[in-house]
Amino acid sequence: MKHVLASLVLSLFSGIAAAQAYPTRPVTLIVPFAAGGPTDIIARITGEYYSKTLGQQFVVENVAGAGGTTGITRGAQAKPDGYTIMMGHMGTHGAAPALYANLKYDPVKDFQPIGLVAGTPILIVARKDFPAANLKEFVAKLKDPAAKVKQAHAGVGSVSFTTCTLLTSQLGVKNIVAAYRGTGPALNDLIGGQVDYMCDQIVNLVEQVKGGSIKAYAIAIPERSPALPDVPTTKEAGLPEYQVSAWNALFAPKGVPKEVAAKLSDTLVKALDDEATRKRLLELGSVIPGKAGRSPQALQKLVESEVARWTPILKAAQQ
Amino acid sequence: MGGLAVIAVAAAAFWLVRDLPGGNGGGMGPGTLPKGLALLLGLLGLALAIGSWLEKGLPLERWSVRGPLLILGALVVFGLAVRPLGLLVAGPLAIVVGAFASSEVRWGETLVFGALMTAFCIGLFKFALGLPIPLAPWLLGY
Amino acid sequence: MEFLGHLALGFATALSPMNLLLAFIGCLVGTLIGVLPGVGPIATIAMLMPLTLKVDPTGALIMLAGIYYGAQYGGSTTAILLNIPGEVTAVVTAIDGHEMAKKGQAGTALGIAALGSFLAGTVATLVIAAIGAPLTKLALLFGPAEYFGLMVFGLGLAIVLARGSVLKAVIMVVLGLLLATVGTDLETGQDRLTLGIAELSDGVDFAVLAMGVFGIAEILRNLEHPESRDVAVSKIGRLLPSLGDLRRSLGPIVRGTGIGSVLGILPGNGAVLGPFASYALEKKLAKDPSRFGKGAIEGVAGPESANNAGAQTSFIPLLTLGIPPNAVMALMVGAMTIHGLIPGPQVMLKHPTLFWGMIASMWIGNLFLLIINLPLIGLWVRLLKVPYRLMFTTILLFCAIGIYSINNNPYDVYFTAFFGLAGYVFIKLGLEPAPMLLGFVLGRLMEEKLRQALALSEGSFMTFVERPVAAGLLVFAAAVMVIAVLPAVSRSRAKAFQE
Repeated sequence: MKHVLASLVLSLFSGIAAAQAYPTRPVTLIVPFAAGGPTDIIARITGEYYSKTLGQQFVVENVAGAGGTTGITRGAQAKPDGYTIMMGHMGTHGAAPALYANLKYDPVKDFQPIGLVAGTPILIVARKDFPAANLKEFVAKLKDPAAKVKQAHAGVGSVSFTTCTLLTSQLGVKNIVAAYRGTGPALNDLIGGQVDYMCDQIVNLVEQVKGGSIKAYAIAIPERSPALPDVPTTKEAGLPEYQVSAWNALFAPKGVPKEVAAKLSDTLVKALDDEATRKRLLELGSVIPGKAGRSPQALQKLVESEVARWTPILKAAQQ
Repeated sequence: MGGLAVIAVAAAAFWLVRDLPGGNGGGMGPGTLPKGLALLLGLLGLALAIGSWLEKGLPLERWSVRGPLLILGALVVFGLAVRPLGLLVAGPLAIVVGAFASSEVRWGETLVFGALMTAFCIGLFKFALGLPIPLAPWLLGY
Repeated sequence: MEFLGHLALGFATALSPMNLLLAFIGCLVGTLIGVLPGVGPIATIAMLMPLTLKVDPTGALIMLAGIYYGAQYGGSTTAILLNIPGEVTAVVTAIDGHEMAKKGQAGTALGIAALGSFLAGTVATLVIAAIGAPLTKLALLFGPAEYFGLMVFGLGLAIVLARGSVLKAVIMVVLGLLLATVGTDLETGQDRLTLGIAELSDGVDFAVLAMGVFGIAEILRNLEHPESRDVAVSKIGRLLPSLGDLRRSLGPIVRGTGIGSVLGILPGNGAVLGPFASYALEKKLAKDPSRFGKGAIEGVAGPESANNAGAQTSFIPLLTLGIPPNAVMALMVGAMTIHGLIPGPQVMLKHPTLFWGMIASMWIGNLFLLIINLPLIGLWVRLLKVPYRLMFTTILLFCAIGIYSINNNPYDVYFTAFFGLAGYVFIKLGLEPAPMLLGFVLGRLMEEKLRQALALSEGSFMTFVERPVAAGLLVFAAAVMVIAVLPAVSRSRAKAFQE
């Protein structure tokens, strides 16, 4: 009996000690998309700060597939010792339950949220010669069946798909929709004038808009983005109910020791205040959450509300 | 012989996509292309089978079992072992299993070579390039 | 001729000692990694990208570009020596290149590939510098309907690739097309042919397919026929192409460069078709087409030049529009973005030193490749002498690691094994893998473009007739297919006559 007690106490201490010392070896940061995309870049920027501050390498492991769900599944099933964390986003932790019937994880229940990292606001963009000067005229054209407006998206499950579906369902319109494999080809045809409009993350579009090859009607967040100060917000332009941004956040599998989770969350808060990190994130056009939005509880609430938001819309669109 | 195999594949493919909508020419649906292709494949396979039945073609070569089994086995072993056991184990395992596919295999040489090659790969992929391939999770934790 | 002024600026940038060093390192490392079987350009760039993070943006991009070319050439090396194409564009090189290697002409094949690539690269660099920007406007005219026409044309080419029976080639192409449909449907998100395996919902990965059907099957074949393998190895032969070889290759190189440059500009991976088109052209132009498939040097010179020209001109949409035409370029975009340089139409204006520096360093990179690789040829050829029982396990291990590292997914390795088995079966049945690979690559693009074209025209097939470029391409495609099939038809007729 004494031995049992002793070993219990010892393991408790070593557990605490281990958590205090965390991390003692490299940590894997799973990015469920291919290298080079917006989520990957944000993850790498964040990972760099973690590596510098916590003294151990945070190694990005790209596990792409099925709209990000392959990587997240792996992360959810990993040992909850804090040495595997993952970067999820609006698609993997908001829209996924509605899009994938055999999803092997529950965004609300299977994760320990660490914190929101950055959101990439959504822009409504159109080909540069589209006959509408602002959002109001554009919406009018969308609602007019004779105008035959053509929408492009980067594939079922992509951010451009879910966000444009939100727009069309809010407006109650049905357009001609062309599916592409990835943002590149879709953007290409938008510039070439083969399709009329798209809704996508600002990161992918900012240079095109600045260069004039496409035009932006509105940005779907409450305030204008410093990256594109001339683009009105949906509120200003007359469509206030369209508010959406592709948020990216760090998660750990459920069951991670409290101290480890706390350390990860605290470091994230500091990362988002760090000058260098902020600069790089802002250059991309992303939005950094304010102090209130950075807590794990805030993230959990966001996940729950996002799942609730997207499920009915996406299920309806699939009929 | 080849024709029959082709027909079999075509039939399998067709059966797998039978539930998908769109094969009636009414509109393009997800099922149209696979069904159409499967059909085409089946017809072509038939043509091949008939053609080879009419002409006297070359006889088929023998099929060996040892080679394919061990080579493919080595790959499967690697896939199974790499995440739980890491490169340290999966590497030599794959080499040893694969080596037996050749009739010239020698035990000692294979083991030494396996160890050396794995060490080289570890140095290259893990350290020089920094790839996130598990090294030995059961030993080192990563 | 203001582009000469731009080029001068570019060279001034690219010739700085730092950038020269970076280009050299990039080419060297890219080649060494690209040579590893199983590791193609995409995997190489993904692996090596973190190394570039420590340098300034221009330097990093120059290094990345060097890695890209190096990996491409390394991939061709593996294709020639081991019959393992690391990337789509290397598939064609593997056909005749490996045959040449088996005949003991590996050195010649590698040398011609290097020279052809260099010449193509030089021309392509000039093209980019002179008319790059205006050309993109032309490329934008290509909509889904036009692409579809192009892809169908490509299918016709696939048939020409065949060494033996046309019927078998067509079967393989169709099989490839069928394989391309595996995965989630583009428009509805439904799973097709995935057998319920989640890992298949993104479709079959090209690297997995190529590795299995070419590489693993090749190992299996070699294990069964040790005699044929040893003969090839003992006759090393010349290390560099002879004058006669050079003379015969000149035409293909020039033509290949032209084809590759034009196709590379098309955003959306038009560059893929380059090598295949070149091969088909050379086969048709040759006085003795039956040499193709057995080690004709034109079958390496032309496609390799097309390959490299296309690889370079595919930078154009990236640099002028900011849109990556294929997965490799997408990685470049990522790399640029990480450095704070978001690619777009204004890059040319806002960062002229970067833009022109990159273009100039493209040529320098090509030069480095030549300098690095010609001596290496001797090394590779000597490597072939390693006893096969040791070599094949090494190849196997590298393949396994390489494939795993693409997506850190063991299922990819299992699939490779499966395709290896399939490849083995194909060999036994006398079916060639190359047309299937082309069918596979084209299949995905083709279906995507077809569905898009129809979606945009609201289901009307007339869109293909109404749009002149599309209609023209389709007619051309039909012509190619007829030409491809005709010899076979007349041959069987002749046989029927004799009986």
